[in-house]
Amino acid sequence: MITDPRIPDPDGFYAALLAAHEDLSETHSADLNARLVLLLANQCGDQAVLLACIRAAAEDPTTTATP
Amino acid sequence: MESFAFAPAYELPVWPFTTPPELGRTETVRHPIVIVGAGPSGLTLACDLAQRGIRAVLLDEDDTVGVRGASSRGICYAQKSLEIFERLGIYERIAAKGITWSFGRTFSGEQEVYSFNLQAESVSRQPPFINLQQFYVEWFLVERILELGLTDLRWKSRVTGIEPLSDGVRIGIETPAGRYTIEADRLIDATGANSPIRTQLGIEAHASRSTDRWCISDVRFKKPLPVERWTWVDAPFNEGRGVWQHLMADGVWRIDYQMPEDCDTARISQPEVAGARLREQLGPGVEFEFVWIGPYGYRDHLLDSFRHGRVFFIGDAAHVVSPFGARGGNSGIQDAANLGWKLALVAQGQADDALLDSYDAERQPAAKQNLEVTSRSARFLAPRSPAEHTLRRAVVALAARHPFARALVNTGRMSVANDYPPTPQLPDGGRTVQNLPLRWADGRETTLMRLLAEGTQCLGLWLAPTRAEAKTAMDATASLPLRLLAIGGDSGLPALQADETLMRHLGLHDAGSFVLVRPDAYRAATLAHATPDAIAAALRTALALDHHAP
Repeated sequence: MITDPRIPDPDGFYAALLAAHEDLSETHSADLNARLVLLLANQCGDQAVLLACIRAAAEDPTTTATP
Repeated sequence: MESFAFAPAYELPVWPFTTPPELGRTETVRHPIVIVGAGPSGLTLACDLAQRGIRAVLLDEDDTVGVRGASSRGICYAQKSLEIFERLGIYERIAAKGITWSFGRTFSGEQEVYSFNLQAESVSRQPPFINLQQFYVEWFLVERILELGLTDLRWKSRVTGIEPLSDGVRIGIETPAGRYTIEADRLIDATGANSPIRTQLGIEAHASRSTDRWCISDVRFKKPLPVERWTWVDAPFNEGRGVWQHLMADGVWRIDYQMPEDCDTARISQPEVAGARLREQLGPGVEFEFVWIGPYGYRDHLLDSFRHGRVFFIGDAAHVVSPFGARGGNSGIQDAANLGWKLALVAQGQADDALLDSYDAERQPAAKQNLEVTSRSARFLAPRSPAEHTLRRAVVALAARHPFARALVNTGRMSVANDYPPTPQLPDGGRTVQNLPLRWADGRETTLMRLLAEGTQCLGLWLAPTRAEAKTAMDATASLPLRLLAIGGDSGLPALQADETLMRHLGLHDAGSFVLVRPDAYRAATLAHATPDAIAAALRTALALDHHAP
């Protein structure tokens, strides 16, 4: 899993992501994110990296309930 | 309200109970092999043994095939099972009666989102799948067993309890003529999902039950539909829930509807309610009659070990999975074929008890894999949380537009002959060899299954060995159950024609390379440059024979 910065225009990417979510309901936003995750996963195409990304995402302290 | 007709019930064969010779005798008779349960796995095992010339006692509490209503239960027989049936001599009957198919389509709403053609991967004489009501398969097996004449088939014989002994098993049996006791060197439990033997021995099955509910409608109608496996993730004619549609023998379609989790199972299987669902799917004006309606919820379990001393568990007694992908019955049939040749070699004194341990070492991981695969399908079909629903919606939406997402649509991954992990008997793991069409050097046709149907021996397929090597190898393996065949060349061995499909499927390239095929058509070893000693060693390894023996 690459954690060094690789996105050429981070602010531009983030703005585009927000724009895609603009005016969407919570459900539609969740749907969009899910589609995006799947599309990006296929760009990556590396099983080990995908699993590492899932683990890294699940570890985020702000979204993981402590047991 | 529209009313719906039922077809007349199937008339199933009944076999007579005959009073066993042991009844009323004081001394206990010992049998080498006793199988309990005449379902697909127990019958396949009895038939496999009989085909090898091995006697067995087969006990069943009933005197017919199928269960009440006859039509529900397994319908899809996978290529590996069909190849086993070819070897046992009932494939032609199954093919004549059943529905051959290889194409599957998955829909979401009105749109096709995924399809597969299993024929593309096949080099076998048998098709990827034949659909046939389970009771027909059991019926053909019973008739074949009776024809072979070596199995002591005892109907109306319920096992009341067993007692493991140091060198065998004592079995209590109840019959219409009274109770009696026999002993077995080895007992095979094929009594199915609710195995009383497993319960009596207190073996943990790690069982779980799904809350997902389905309702089967087996139905005959006059509407031409393609002979393909059609599934809907979310059918518009079933309130956005899953549906299966599949043809089997006698023009009967199995249509399986996913129901709401909290449904009233009695109500959803009433003919008027099931009929209204079907009317919604078929449209007005299509006449139909029901053969069977039945609600079900699936369950699963898996034993940690399929062997407990002298007791072996096969089929549903050992493992149960959800029905998606037809991995239940097919797995039981393959359990039987895995165990059959091993029991035969032990019975004939050509292998030791150690070989029987490999049954568990191979089939338990296969069942574990089937459980994992079917559980993933079940979870795709019945998402458990809002997040799972969201992800599935994303998969289905993308699948309609992008090929990559179609691979994520999971309405069941069809049964395969599972690869076996590396074990002492299979140092490189094991892989099925399909029923390749073959040709002898003189042009006569044969198949791998036909070669394996004669006796119980491994096949050694050797690419163009020299005469000297062939002679030495014959001598080195003379006392072992091996049939040595050449592919091409001029070695003096019986020879098959070299053929590109054969070589590719076996992974043979250069002259002198060699493949060892077991009696259950699994590849036990591949030798890039075989020597007579290496062939003998590979065979001894595959049969769990002592390497240091002279």
